[in-house]
Amino acid sequence: MQSDSSKNTGDYYKHLSLFWTDIMHLMSSKPQALASTGPMRAFTSNSKKVTTELIEINEDLMGFNEYLTEYYRQLSDAWKDAQKKVNLKAPEVPHDVEQIDSFKRIWIDIFDNDFTELFDSKKFGENYGKLVSKELELTKHWNNITNVVLQSVNLPSKEEIDEVYKELHSLKKRIGKLELELKKKEARNNA
Amino acid sequence: MHSESSVDPKIMEEILKFSRNVIDAPKLVSAPDEISLEVTPHDTVLEIDKTRLIHYVPLTEKQHKTPLLISYALINRYHILDLQPEKSWVRNLLSQGFDVYMLDWGTPTSMDKYLDFDDYVNGYLDSAVEHIKDESSVEKISLQGYCTGATIATTYAALHPESVKNYVATAPVIDGWRDTTVISNLAKHMDVDKMVDTIGNMPPEFMYYCFSVLKPFEQGIEKYIRFFKNIDNKKFVDNFLRVEKWLGDTPPIPGELFKQWIKDIYQKNLLVQNKMYVGGERVDLKKIDMPTFTQIAVGDHLVSPECSMPLHYGIGSDDKTLRMYPTGHVGMIASSLSQKKVLPELGTWLSERS
Repeated sequence: MQSDSSKNTGDYYKHLSLFWTDIMHLMSSKPQALASTGPMRAFTSNSKKVTTELIEINEDLMGFNEYLTEYYRQLSDAWKDAQKKVNLKAPEVPHDVEQIDSFKRIWIDIFDNDFTELFDSKKFGENYGKLVSKELELTKHWNNITNVVLQSVNLPSKEEIDEVYKELHSLKKRIGKLELELKKKEARNNA
Repeated sequence: MHSESSVDPKIMEEILKFSRNVIDAPKLVSAPDEISLEVTPHDTVLEIDKTRLIHYVPLTEKQHKTPLLISYALINRYHILDLQPEKSWVRNLLSQGFDVYMLDWGTPTSMDKYLDFDDYVNGYLDSAVEHIKDESSVEKISLQGYCTGATIATTYAALHPESVKNYVATAPVIDGWRDTTVISNLAKHMDVDKMVDTIGNMPPEFMYYCFSVLKPFEQGIEKYIRFFKNIDNKKFVDNFLRVEKWLGDTPPIPGELFKQWIKDIYQKNLLVQNKMYVGGERVDLKKIDMPTFTQIAVGDHLVSPECSMPLHYGIGSDDKTLRMYPTGHVGMIASSLSQKKVLPELGTWLSERS
């Protein structure tokens, strides 16, 4: 978890960045308004959104790094413990083919068991869930930034495309159900 | 420390042999891309969106009256049921005189992110069943579901019992809370709403991650050592590459379907409690009143026996059979055990009712 002081510092810098972005945005709005409706106009008027997203990416990146560090810590602890068990079970250095094969079997069995135990554990599941969630947050910010760029060149955003997909899905579903109903009705009539 | 003279000279010999095998491998075996996974001749008899219904060419002069439709899993592709002639699930059933159909779910794209359980059960599967009924002039068909395909098939059997004469559930995913696998642990802690809202369909990469945490050292290291050690064994290598190619090809899962899947099966466990809704209708397992055959692998590390077994006890059928086999998830459908034990038992059960 983030400490209070680092959170305060983060909040301060976030505020500072947003303050100057807002002021710059206000100050430049008049010259911008003089410009035409070209892509740069659309991009600059949305630039505040890009800045906000970049600031939030930083925050989420901190959280992502925390969970990623915990993820690798769990893996490295499991490795350390498994290796200790292997050393206890097979203390001798293998020096013929049969011994190497037995050693390999012991090593794989212990490592697979210990790692499966880790992957099965609540602590791993929770941390992995949070790690993926943070990664998705980062993806979301990236999507939002991309949307600003797309809109500046008059291309549909992800949300707009999703809307079309949703509408298409709903239409196809209705047609499919109607066709099936009709087919069943025809079959009943022919019977 | 051991002196140099105590080291077995065979070790050097083994290392040299192994290195030679690695160098010779490209000369001896095909690249996975060059291998075709479609073995048994078939025709595509119906296509809806990206799904297609496959009808296998019969291998016997006479067939049982009731056709069998296989609803394969949503993960990987149906080829595992027909990977090579001597271990083919499909070919075995054909040679026992069954008329076999397979539903290939295809490869969903971003456009398909809103497809849900309703589309799969009441849309694609129902259309396939209706088509087979028409083509075969029967009122009911036999239905088999494998893994996640069995969850879809179970839902179908509960919602459309009038169309299913016999139901075969092979390693079905039913009771998410009882599932003791690593997959269920990851699923229980997943923010699936955020995943679907952000990236749409469940990407194959996420599935590959899930595979990588299943016995990572046996599957990630030992398996490949064994492959190079056996590079001269044509039969072993051919089987290995086919399975590897199959493992490395999983399509995305439509976002809404995946969301309902994770929430209703793994997180809220609604199906086994008869509280799951599909297309506005409640799925009641008690409505599965047709003869039902449940196949479970004791060593299944993808769908644990505890997750599948509740189907046998939860359905309304009086004619129900539960069989457990000493093998794993894939071993149950594509191994010599499946050819010698699993399929003959299924064939006997099914032929008595077809």
